Amino acid sequence: MANPTPEAPQERPRGNPAQRLYAAFDSPGRRRALHLVLLAILIVTPWLSSQYVTVILTNALLYVVLCLGLNVVVGYAGLLDLGYAAFFAVGAYTIGILTQQFGFNFWAAIPFALLAAALAGVIIGGPTLRLRSDYLAIVTLGFGEIVRFTARNLEITGGASGLSHIPEPSLFGWYIDSSIDFYYVFAVLAVLAYIASQRLFDSRLGRAWLYVRHDEDAAEAMGINRVAVKLAAYVIGAIFGAVGGIFFSVNLGAISPESFSFQQSVLILMAVVLGGMGKIPGVILGAFIVVLGPELLREFDTLRLLIFAVLLLLIMLFRPSGIWPEKRS
Amino acid sequence: MTWYDSLLQQLADGLVLGSFYALVALGYTMVFGVIKLLNFAHGDLYMTGAFAGFGGLSLVSGVLGAGWLGIFVAMLLAMLAVGCLGVVIERIAYHPMLAAPRLSILITALAVSLVLQNAALSLTGGQYTAFRTDLGFGGLSLGNLFISYNQIVLVATAAVLMIALELFVSKTLYGRAMRAVAIDKDMCRMLGINVSAVIAITFFIGSGLAAAAGTMAGAYYGSIWYFMGFLIGLKAFTAAVIGGIGSITGAMLGGLILGLLESFGTHIPFIGSEWKDVFTFAILILVLVFKPTGLLGKSEVERM
Amino acid sequence: MNLRTILKLIASTAALHLAASGPALAQDGPITIGVQAPTTGSEATYGKDILNAIGLAADEINAKGGLLGGRQITLISGDTACDPQQSVNAASRLASQEVVGVVGGYCSGATQPTLKIYGDANIPFVIVAANSTQLIPANPGNAFMINSTGADQAKTAVDFFAGKGIDKLAIVNQGDAYSQDLANLTRDAWKAAGHEVSAFEYVNKGEQDFSALVNKIRGSGAQAVFWTAYYADGGLLIRQLRQRGFQGTIAVGDGSNSPKLFDIAGQAAEGVYAFSNPTADFLPAAKQFISDYQAKFDTAPGPYAPLAYDGMQLMAWAIDKAGSTDADAIIKALGSADGKEWLAGPISFTPQHTLARSNFVVLEGQGGKWTRYQP
Repeated sequence: MANPTPEAPQERPRGNPAQRLYAAFDSPGRRRALHLVLLAILIVTPWLSSQYVTVILTNALLYVVLCLGLNVVVGYAGLLDLGYAAFFAVGAYTIGILTQQFGFNFWAAIPFALLAAALAGVIIGGPTLRLRSDYLAIVTLGFGEIVRFTARNLEITGGASGLSHIPEPSLFGWYIDSSIDFYYVFAVLAVLAYIASQRLFDSRLGRAWLYVRHDEDAAEAMGINRVAVKLAAYVIGAIFGAVGGIFFSVNLGAISPESFSFQQSVLILMAVVLGGMGKIPGVILGAFIVVLGPELLREFDTLRLLIFAVLLLLIMLFRPSGIWPEKRS
Repeated sequence: MTWYDSLLQQLADGLVLGSFYALVALGYTMVFGVIKLLNFAHGDLYMTGAFAGFGGLSLVSGVLGAGWLGIFVAMLLAMLAVGCLGVVIERIAYHPMLAAPRLSILITALAVSLVLQNAALSLTGGQYTAFRTDLGFGGLSLGNLFISYNQIVLVATAAVLMIALELFVSKTLYGRAMRAVAIDKDMCRMLGINVSAVIAITFFIGSGLAAAAGTMAGAYYGSIWYFMGFLIGLKAFTAAVIGGIGSITGAMLGGLILGLLESFGTHIPFIGSEWKDVFTFAILILVLVFKPTGLLGKSEVERM
Repeated sequence: MNLRTILKLIASTAALHLAASGPALAQDGPITIGVQAPTTGSEATYGKDILNAIGLAADEINAKGGLLGGRQITLISGDTACDPQQSVNAASRLASQEVVGVVGGYCSGATQPTLKIYGDANIPFVIVAANSTQLIPANPGNAFMINSTGADQAKTAVDFFAGKGIDKLAIVNQGDAYSQDLANLTRDAWKAAGHEVSAFEYVNKGEQDFSALVNKIRGSGAQAVFWTAYYADGGLLIRQLRQRGFQGTIAVGDGSNSPKLFDIAGQAAEGVYAFSNPTADFLPAAKQFISDYQAKFDTAPGPYAPLAYDGMQLMAWAIDKAGSTDADAIIKALGSADGKEWLAGPISFTPQHTLARSNFVVLEGQGGKWTRYQP
């Protein structure tokens, strides 16, 4: 991140109970056990809860995929992106158009959606690489809005009404259509996104991002191709977003421009920063908070977003680097 | 209408729209200048300003009437009230975050924006409020060109506010302190400048200008609602970036350019007005590709 | 609204929720009805209007002794924020709370994915506002649309403009599903009738300055302007058209037929035409409705308030007719709606569960309110 102020706050004293809890989870020895427990919870939850809980958890898992994708761009590579919903839209609309208007099989359409998203990543990444972060913010916002307006204006995207009757995918004769089916689809995607994020973080590319984020000139002096590395972040982030969009479109069966607004991009970014940029468990936590928060506050109806916003503000004030910040330096 | 008249008319209308954008963009740019924050709550201060101006006008219209005199007084009241609100927001939400990562404070600003928007939604019940004034429809007709008196007053007021700001920043002690803080906070602190006070004044002025724009927009267009800050917030942000964020003259220029772009964007031949915003954003991106710091922004070497 | 009323509201909604989450299935307990409407976000103006009108209807029914021999109606609000994901969440929550029926549905895009949820849960759904034709094939059979679709209105509009001797028409929409659909249908019908669409324009919601658009419309030589979207921005457009000396005919669609148009457009709304169901000031029941609404919520009813009110009344009528809270019986009762006069006109359904009538009338703004237009 373009950042003249210190990147992370001072390390808190070990006595802080929250910190000790995180440390316990962070230790590699206990991580495997924790993973197994979480995986078990992920598998059994829909059997123990109502359909409503399944639906909102599915939504939260979709956000996990999107947030981990944006985390590659923002958290790893340090590039501010205010138009991430554009990639989400490219994935969803490519599937919608190909399956519904050209009769493609869902699975056959996926490679095209991923290709389209990667292309969008290059198009958005290309002109922005020279820009400072604040300018990057407006350019990505502009791209996001251009994608949304284009979807609204064209006939092939169904205009403002969007596309409907996107067929449900089938796998070896099994139709993915109930809410529990989609819960498991998104659970698998979230786990894959988690593993991919972890691998990327530990890879050469991950370290290259780290250097570029902290000191671009020094990174270049060390032989890191700054442009290629940043572009890779955009393309990988775009693919995560598209994967979310692909399954989002078949889950709802209908897509319209409202789903890909600036507010959507903002919400995803909020989750990433709130949870802790660059820190995978933090980002996952952030995704759950932005989805479940407004749901838990539904009793307050009109006031629910006001209460949610005040809570967000309080979280940011008490944990300025996010709830579960990254410590690697 | 000949193309020539039409061109002049677009120019005049673009200027009016641009003055609103410029006033709001100034707040963005000033706040960015001193604390490097993209204050996404700024559009909502414009909205709050419109409601404060509405309240102010109902207070004073009994004595002063609801013509321009009453509106000016209401506008001053709104500037004062929203200016103070801006300072309070800075104290509560941004000040504790100054040492945090840049993105965290951005998210805080987005949260503040949500708070203001939803508080207004709850307080107004989501209703559009008619902003009634005694302003007439009259104006100057020059051939086919029509400029209303209201538009003239609006542009003049915006110009006066902007000139006053320019003088304040370039000539007064506080203005100089503001520019110094924008360059190097730590050095200012060492030199004994009260940095917190300078930041507070910046927020006061920036928010006050947004409130002025909000009140004038309410009076001119005739209706206000809780979500009115969203679109103009985005546009003013765009304007500030086109001009070069951090540059006060740049914000004014960016606002006017954006106003003109939108005005002409409606008239692009062969493609409809539904592509107007695509056109605007495409121009914005082109500007930044060729001039990465905006039109008047300083290019600075970025050090992490 | 001050802090005290807000706190009271929080307390009462919380209490309502606690009450609602009790044994809703009990034979003599309250009958819970879900209200699906966007009560937050940029569409909250219309969503709250729908929620208010449904609340008013429920209160009236309860005051008259409730349904099925004294059972009271309780409402649960499901905020959609006009976003498809959020509305899926809201609908799933309503379904999990085992509501007897759902009334509402404002944004077509956000309503569509909820159809499957209510269908799977077998919950009767009266759709009061959303009227995109895309909803029709997605309806599993439990949903009923009481707002006429755009095609009927486009026909009324074309007949009206042609009757005025107009040839060059400018059509302006707001880029949302409802107004874009109506604009497209009107454009096609107008061209098919051999006339010219001199300008076909989009504006963004919340954009206040339409001067460039007004210039373009004037430059296009349009004799009439048709605004297909909602009153709030429509009021501003009408003002600016008249301020800049546009002398031609101005007409608005049924999203703008609210009396609030006169608040915003003021003097400029005089002589403006609106296409509408025969509502508002013409039926005695509607007069009562307007004054009750005004008294209770301190604002005039918005464009969908009469339909939302009717939707709740229709649901109650169907429950009483079914004689139980059994979903299949209620759906059957709804399907048999017999053309009885409601606030916004008679309701009966086609086999696709859309409204089986097109009785749009033309209204004219006179003296700050809508009157029936006599050609």
